[in-house]
Amino acid sequence: MKELTITSDAPGKRLFVLGNEAIARGAIEAGVQVAAAYPGTPSSEITETLSSVAKELGIYVEWSTNEKVAFEVALAASICGVRAMASMKHVGVNVAHDPLMTANYIGAKGGFVLLSADDPWAWSSQNEQDNRYIALQAYMPILEPSSVQEAKDMMADAFKLSEQFRQLFMLRSVTRIGHARSDLVLGEISREKRQGKFVKNRDWLVYTPREARINKPLMLERFDAIKKAADSLPYNQLKPARGAKLGIIGCGLCYSYSIEALKWLGIEDKVSMLKIGTPHPLPEQLVIELLKSVKEVLITEEIDPFVELHVKAIAGEHNIPVKIHGKDLLPRVGELSTRTVTEALIKLTGAKSPVDFAKLDKLAEETAPLLPWRPPALCPGCSHRASFYAIKTASKKVARDIGKDVEAIYPGDIGCYALGYNPPLEAVDTTICMGGSFGIANGLSHVVNAPIVAHLGDSTFFHAGIPPLINAVYNKANITMVVLDNSATAMTGFQPHPGTGHTAMGDETVQLKPEDIARACGVKFVEVVDPFDLKAAAKTIEAAIRFDGPAVVVSRRLCTMIAQREKRKRKEPIIPYFVDQDKCSGKCNACIELLGCPAIIKEDGKTVIDQALCTGCGICAQVCPYKAIIEVSQ
Amino acid sequence: MIKEFNVLITGVGGQGVILMSELLGEAAVKDRLKVRGSEILGMAVRGGSVTSAIRLGEDVYGPLIPTSKCSALVGMEPSEALRNITCLSKSSLVILNTAVTVPFTVPLGQSSYPSLEEILEKLNKAAERVIQLDATKLAQEAGSLLTTNVVMLGALFGTERLPIKVATIKETVEERFPAKLAPVNTKAFDLGYETCRQALK
Repeated sequence: MKELTITSDAPGKRLFVLGNEAIARGAIEAGVQVAAAYPGTPSSEITETLSSVAKELGIYVEWSTNEKVAFEVALAASICGVRAMASMKHVGVNVAHDPLMTANYIGAKGGFVLLSADDPWAWSSQNEQDNRYIALQAYMPILEPSSVQEAKDMMADAFKLSEQFRQLFMLRSVTRIGHARSDLVLGEISREKRQGKFVKNRDWLVYTPREARINKPLMLERFDAIKKAADSLPYNQLKPARGAKLGIIGCGLCYSYSIEALKWLGIEDKVSMLKIGTPHPLPEQLVIELLKSVKEVLITEEIDPFVELHVKAIAGEHNIPVKIHGKDLLPRVGELSTRTVTEALIKLTGAKSPVDFAKLDKLAEETAPLLPWRPPALCPGCSHRASFYAIKTASKKVARDIGKDVEAIYPGDIGCYALGYNPPLEAVDTTICMGGSFGIANGLSHVVNAPIVAHLGDSTFFHAGIPPLINAVYNKANITMVVLDNSATAMTGFQPHPGTGHTAMGDETVQLKPEDIARACGVKFVEVVDPFDLKAAAKTIEAAIRFDGPAVVVSRRLCTMIAQREKRKRKEPIIPYFVDQDKCSGKCNACIELLGCPAIIKEDGKTVIDQALCTGCGICAQVCPYKAIIEVSQ
Repeated sequence: MIKEFNVLITGVGGQGVILMSELLGEAAVKDRLKVRGSEILGMAVRGGSVTSAIRLGEDVYGPLIPTSKCSALVGMEPSEALRNITCLSKSSLVILNTAVTVPFTVPLGQSSYPSLEEILEKLNKAAERVIQLDATKLAQEAGSLLTTNVVMLGALFGTERLPIKVATIKETVEERFPAKLAPVNTKAFDLGYETCRQALK
């Protein structure tokens, strides 16, 4: 038997998958022909999965420069009648917001699905925004899955629904869908291949005020049709319990937590359940039916009270005397869980708690002080550690020359290097959004008198770093912009980008260089350094800071994870460093306190290098005042 | 049909926590079990705390193990097992690798690492039983440090409580790696399995 994979056309067969692979599978089953994305946790594996099978299936897949471009690429395909999707993390949708707000005036010709990967508890994000509000604003219907299986099924259906109603759809995933694992029953793969056709139609596609006024009413009509259909979509289901006083409205994944909570309490026969798969628009008749049949309702949903708001409006409009609970009993911050829903149900029903939660909380409280702090750290051998050391050495020197109380400011950005805020590097003063470091640096230069050294990664530079760089030139912002170029989108899993020389589908392409772009944008000080040469890098960065006008330094060194992988492939040895105990004072701790490398540890009071972790970058040897750190081969 | 069996694997980035949960999940699907699970890597590229849940059985819906409902906690690193103590109850087993990984915050003087005795005392109080093994050492004995997670997988099956057949998990491990690694992995699995059997005698 041929091995079962994500591309097997084997309806009914079961596969063990990651949620994001299931979402990709749904798109494959629907016959998606164009998939564009910018990487971002927890969405990246969708496009990684699609890119790995793109040529086999005849799908066009691209890592776009940013989410706005990804959205536009997919929108163009839809306009030409081809099924298309754009995937991004929740904050990525902000970048795509501009075309998104006009896209549903156009509507979908080829089915269009926007995959928004929300991140409750902001596990790997700068905020935990609820993108259902963005869909609301854009008249974009939302499908929200309760499980990995449903994520696949909804994704496959979303393209059909999008074509049926001629509207762009959103599939709202969350971290515990995309990064969940599950058995998955496969469906049939569509073999339909369409040829894109662009039909010139000014009324439909050229948005001047006239066309906005023509198309908005049409969009509203289309949305109304979806609203009417919501009650009969299979993703919304009402399961009334005879004589129930309480009802639950379980939205998306929270439906699963709700079912488990009811079973845990043993009250699943006493509570009516409305499962919601379309939080926008809601299945209004089903909601009314539930509200009329019970005295109290608990709405379980993640992040903001989005469904709660609309259910309260429906209850008010129809004068239904029902008490509606939601975020009064459940957290508005972070993820929901079987436990949080169970506790809310105990409050509402007086059911006996299956576990002494207070005792467990006390145990957690007692245990916390015993636990070592284990934050994620820059890898041993990470070039960013060296870059930060060089940036700080140079900046402190210049700051001292300006005045004794002057401190340099380090606006930072989104990527692995955000970990540079940890001690001992402490080289990140702001992290707000993609490209935000350069933008914030622009503003700072007009209000403070201190060296301003902003940094961002290579992928982030191409994504959102170029407009603020041009701004600095145009508006004469005296700032230093460092591109931490490790030739990878490392944090999200090494996806290719315009600086890597190859595309999502593995084809070779041009390799753009940040220094060329900086020069072309009119920056007069542009230098490239190797961060592993700490002295030379610091010297160049110092010159950049002292330069009158915007300056760019590209600090270039391949991501250590990739470098090691390539070395292993070439069967090249990785030569670690060690501490010569005869030379090491054992007390100065400069290597530990200046660099914070996970490979440098203390054993019985001695400073030693973990030979399994050390990659041989050698920057610790450069900072050791006793020259006690030596390459193993010497 | 099994109703609910929850496995939580805890450890440090780079220890193969995710790989273990993948192997468990694949084996479970082969044995026709319903599987749910989820993992948290945080922002960890390397070195941060990692947990991964694999849940088996008909009554399992959500991807996370509810508080106190863990059937077996696989601790690849002692302090990381302790970090997840509230998933345990008096019917949970803990399979603990006693080899310690000290985070970089300890030499920096920003936090301290508890003694193994302290960790064991806490876990013993919370769980039905703690089975200790030096999986790192056993992995060396098997022929490769990289098989530490396979040793732990063997120990997990050595509890003889899992609803997955031993033959199925062994076959899944074998399929996952190049053929030349099969003898080392088999040895690692068996060493873990036997150590756990002995401990439970």
